[in-house]
Amino acid sequence: MRRHPRFVVLLFLAPNLLGFLTFTLVPVALSLAGSFTNWSLRPALPLEFIGLQNYARLLHDQQFYLYLYNTAYLMLALPFSIGGALWLAVLLHGQTRFRHAPTARRATLASGLATLAGAGALWFTGSPNLAYLVGFLGLVATLGFHFGSVTYRTAYYLPNFTAGAATILLWTQLYNPTSGLINQGLGRAAAWLGFEAAGPGWLTSTKSLLGFLPWPEFFNNGGFGLGAREAIMAMGIWAAIGGNNLILFLAGLSNIPPELNEAAEIDGAGGWQRFRHITWPQLAPTTFFIVIISLIGGLQGGFEQARMMTNGGPAGTTTTLSYYIYLQGFERLDLGYGSAVAWVLFLLVFALTALQWSRQARDGHD
Amino acid sequence: MNRELRIFLKHGLLLFLALAMIGPFLWMLGASFKPNAEIERLALLPDDVHAQNYAIVLRQAPDPHTGHLLNLSFPRWYFNSFFVAAWVTSLQVMTSAMAAFAFSRLAWRGRDTVFLFYLGTMMIPSIVLMLPNYQIMVKLGLVNTYRGLIVPMAFSAFGTFLLRQFMITLPRSYDEAAEIDGASALQLFLDVILPLARPGVVALAILTFLGNFQSFAWPLIMVKDDYLRTIPIGLLSFQSDYGQQTELIMAATVMNIVPLIALFIVMQRQLVAGIQMGGVKG
Repeated sequence: MRRHPRFVVLLFLAPNLLGFLTFTLVPVALSLAGSFTNWSLRPALPLEFIGLQNYARLLHDQQFYLYLYNTAYLMLALPFSIGGALWLAVLLHGQTRFRHAPTARRATLASGLATLAGAGALWFTGSPNLAYLVGFLGLVATLGFHFGSVTYRTAYYLPNFTAGAATILLWTQLYNPTSGLINQGLGRAAAWLGFEAAGPGWLTSTKSLLGFLPWPEFFNNGGFGLGAREAIMAMGIWAAIGGNNLILFLAGLSNIPPELNEAAEIDGAGGWQRFRHITWPQLAPTTFFIVIISLIGGLQGGFEQARMMTNGGPAGTTTTLSYYIYLQGFERLDLGYGSAVAWVLFLLVFALTALQWSRQARDGHD
Repeated sequence: MNRELRIFLKHGLLLFLALAMIGPFLWMLGASFKPNAEIERLALLPDDVHAQNYAIVLRQAPDPHTGHLLNLSFPRWYFNSFFVAAWVTSLQVMTSAMAAFAFSRLAWRGRDTVFLFYLGTMMIPSIVLMLPNYQIMVKLGLVNTYRGLIVPMAFSAFGTFLLRQFMITLPRSYDEAAEIDGASALQLFLDVILPLARPGVVALAILTFLGNFQSFAWPLIMVKDDYLRTIPIGLLSFQSDYGQQTELIMAATVMNIVPLIALFIVMQRQLVAGIQMGGVKG
């Protein structure tokens, strides 16, 4: 094929290249250079090259270790959100529509009518809350009988699609130790079972599920229990479990040749055996991609939650590396040190990405 | 066990999971209509439907606690979020599509090396870029302006990557046919490749719009004045000023989420296709 003239190529590349240079390449260089200086927004300080001092300081910074620990701790939610997404994908990929078309039509019709009748009766007999719940469940069931798994995939994807400031505020309210829905529900359940117990402190508590371990004191483990870190993890699982990972797993599942499963079934393999020996190995590239992307995201995560839900507290237990970088740069105005922390984060991300690429190169992907 | 019965039971499980995922939204919707006195009651719906929460948030009615309109301009934040996200989306799709075209349909020396370099920058954490980028915006005088919110977001290695992956699968014969017809590179791009790459462009547009509508970190450092706030940043200040009035916060979050749900329902198919393109081909 003939070469295109250089100016034509440049014409197409120019807009992107210009932005790329200004907002990626130059900043990366600035940030690296800045991490070796005392770069600060306090105007009185003259800029000086200080060699590796920022990095040396970081090695002795107890807060850095706490925030690194917090970041790693929050990433313990990843196996649950990824494993959960895989489980949901297998569930949704299987048969969700009735084989017999008249059965499907009857189920849809019956469920629709039952919903209308049930919710209507509850509403007019003075139980609007129950009517609301029954109406919702009935609506989803009716759509589910009619459209199959698409209905559920849509419902599960919504938390991911809307994730952001609004859902964070929503969960902040749900987690309120006294007035929040979660502790009120737990309190009601406890009372019904006949005992009285204070609910977890959630976002106000330094407890953690690893709090019983003899960590150094500056890790601020307030003992064993559910605290702010668990609250953020649970919200994260809720937001991620039905999201992009589920979509990717579903795509991976539909790429498995059906003959494999059919042959295994003829040979008498059960559901678990087929999962273990067909689905799991066939999904390996997808799983690997998801794990790496999630680890990279996890290392950089926690900023929004810390800023909106907890201000990094209580006692720094929800401050992650990315929030620490923000604090150094924009609150303590210490850009040099902030840049050094940022580069340590970058190196961690880089190591994971290199792993992903070498694996792809080995498997011969594009 | 009977197959149809098993499917029926499976729907029961799926329904339960749907309740867990959507339940918080059900409470949010109900709470947004509650009067303040009812917020702490364990109930999904209000006894006394209080639609004026929405009027208060939209500054059409005074806050009952103070008797004044809220000191925050939610309608303005709403406009800002749409305005910024729409501009970023159109600019980013344009710059990405042009670069993707150069990386997939034009022949030039060093093409794949440059592309790999581009791709490599995707792994740089945005927080690393945030500190120096802020300084650059200070130098350019763009802090606390719409341009400051829009311009740095108009270029994306991810967008270029996504569209390049899409364009590279289109058959070469289109280019050759266009060349025989005497079409220029620009005509090939506008009349042939871009229309064929539409599914990729649509997916990128949705992802970009969503990401910028919900964007938090960059507007947080870029915006100083209330009139420039986007919804996420506005919600943050809302929470610090009126955090005790849960019902107002919930009305605001409902108004944040409703356009997203509408977008999602309309665009679901294209979105799913886009995620699969970006992910599976990795």
